[in-house]
Amino acid sequence: MTPSPPSPPEPSPTEPSSVDPSSVDGGGPVPGEPLPAAGEPVRRLHPLTPILRSLSMIALAIAAVSWQGFRQLGPVRFGQGIALGLVLLIIYSAISWRMTGYQVGARELRIHEGLLWRRTRAIPLERLQAVEVVRPVLARMFGLAQVRLEVVGGSSTEAPLSYLTAAEAQALRDRLLAMSRGEAHRPGSVEPDRTGPDGTRPTGTELPAPVGESERPLHRVANRDLLVSQLLNPQWWALVLGVGGPVVYFLMNTDMSTIGILSLLTALVGAAQVPINMIGNVWNFRVGTGPDGLRIHRGLLEKRSQTVPVGRIQALAVRWPLLWRGQGWVRIQSQVAGLSAQEGNNQLKGGVLLPVGDIPTARMLAAEVLPGFDLTSVTVLPVPARAAWLAPFSHRVLGYTLTGVAFATRRGLLTRELVIVPYARMQSVRVRQGPVQRMLRLATVYADTAGGGLTPVAEHRDVIEARALAAELADRSRAARRTPAASPIHHPM
Amino acid sequence: MTTSAETAFSIWPEGVEWRRLSPRLFWLELIRQLGSLLVVAVVAGGAWLIWHGTWPLIIGTVAGLGGLVRIAFLPRSISAWGYADDLLVRHGRLVHRLSIVPYGRMQFVDVTAGPLERGLGLATVQLHTAAAASDAKIPGLTPAEAARLRDRLAALGEAKAEGL
Repeated sequence: MTPSPPSPPEPSPTEPSSVDPSSVDGGGPVPGEPLPAAGEPVRRLHPLTPILRSLSMIALAIAAVSWQGFRQLGPVRFGQGIALGLVLLIIYSAISWRMTGYQVGARELRIHEGLLWRRTRAIPLERLQAVEVVRPVLARMFGLAQVRLEVVGGSSTEAPLSYLTAAEAQALRDRLLAMSRGEAHRPGSVEPDRTGPDGTRPTGTELPAPVGESERPLHRVANRDLLVSQLLNPQWWALVLGVGGPVVYFLMNTDMSTIGILSLLTALVGAAQVPINMIGNVWNFRVGTGPDGLRIHRGLLEKRSQTVPVGRIQALAVRWPLLWRGQGWVRIQSQVAGLSAQEGNNQLKGGVLLPVGDIPTARMLAAEVLPGFDLTSVTVLPVPARAAWLAPFSHRVLGYTLTGVAFATRRGLLTRELVIVPYARMQSVRVRQGPVQRMLRLATVYADTAGGGLTPVAEHRDVIEARALAAELADRSRAARRTPAASPIHHPM
Repeated sequence: MTTSAETAFSIWPEGVEWRRLSPRLFWLELIRQLGSLLVVAVVAGGAWLIWHGTWPLIIGTVAGLGGLVRIAFLPRSISAWGYADDLLVRHGRLVHRLSIVPYGRMQFVDVTAGPLERGLGLATVQLHTAAAASDAKIPGLTPAEAARLRDRLAALGEAKAEGL
């Protein structure tokens, strides 16, 4: 899904036409000359929005009624109920669509919404962490897309704008990112090199330039590898239980009625849905880099393309599960404040930088995110032998290293995990020493990151080493903020 | 307060002038602990009145003893708290904890004083960074010291204000 270039060759940012939605992708603000706050008209979402929303909601309602309900109601009443519900939903959605609008201000995106309780939400673009363009199946059939903004402080995705036309969504994404970047580089500061790999540079446009077309592909994950790597994931094996359970139940109850069989099929689909979703989420995984940051495209049915400015990535985790070691595969998770990066249910959703890949690929991507970081040259300092009292098995794995740009710690016996945090992104350093650790003269050092999902932990260090490490981390963290060279792309919040 | 052998193998950085908390914090913590003991006693007594079992008494006694132990260790735990102006905070007697917040990372400073704290002339300063895990909280400051610390931290923060 290559973003289409912004359409008008001569953008006119000062006089946006209020009718044509494709004029959203104007050239953006000229640095040092902010747009007037109310200069832009309030735009509506696409007129098909109410119908699409109703359809997805009615699907939920049907699932809630289930086959049992279908049997009790009978097909006619069931159909009538659905039709009535659909009509009501469409009316409601249409009214709410009428009341919803968005407006690009000078430094913020404003969203007006609400039927009875009017709400205007202003999202400051300096706080923008990532933008995602999502194209669910249904919306894709109509050429529509959703824009999701990730902002620090929001527990969930702020302001999903659904739906816009695909071109409009991409233009809005590019524009918002350009505006948030424009804020980061004040007039007079050195503009970072945004020359494409082929040496081309968008000419004839004011900064920030339209950025849609200059994406450089970095890596594409082979779908076969995705499939194999997921089969090696123990979570998949739970599928056997999920499928076996309903089948056994069905055989024991021998309810051979149509409803019984349909219920069984529903249960099977439900069980199979989890791994299929997991794979579907990262199907056709592609990473590229553009002037506005990393671009991650993924998804089988629901296509997503996420843009994360590189400076917004707070931490990386390279994980090496036991069963992947035969292939030499790793996966990389990135942490962006506002996006969840926790291992678990979300592991293939927010922040996946590489769902599966070999070490050279991981090294290349890690270096892309953290310039100057070489994954293969990392050798961790081992813990003292007496740490075996506290970590009888994993003490061989524990360790940390201080590279030129980042602090990295290793832990995890089965799934080995290397957590990497650039010094510039560390928020605070903590040292902790429990009573047993005190007897063994050990201590644990933490480097806290924004978002908090990935925290490098140097466990069970010698206490004198821990003290020195904490001081060193604090020093490097301060220094990284002082010299801009250590944090090449730096976005104030 | 600490012996030299303890210092040599502790996690506290060397050469730091630790500022200590107000001794009045002991009374504040004592009142809080006694309050929770009272709650435990009321709940256990109430449960005993309703069900007449021995379990409420046993659970209540254990919880009460735990509270008494905590009260007994209050002076020690308070004397373990310390802070330095370069955003170093230490606390914990059983589990030693040290927090370092590099200046540029501080997002905002909270000064809070509840009714009890106000009655005793105390205030709490808490530093917030973008990471939720950073816990740099300094209880038991006199209001004047809390204000001084807040202003100093804010000045440091402004001088090195940065983003995430």
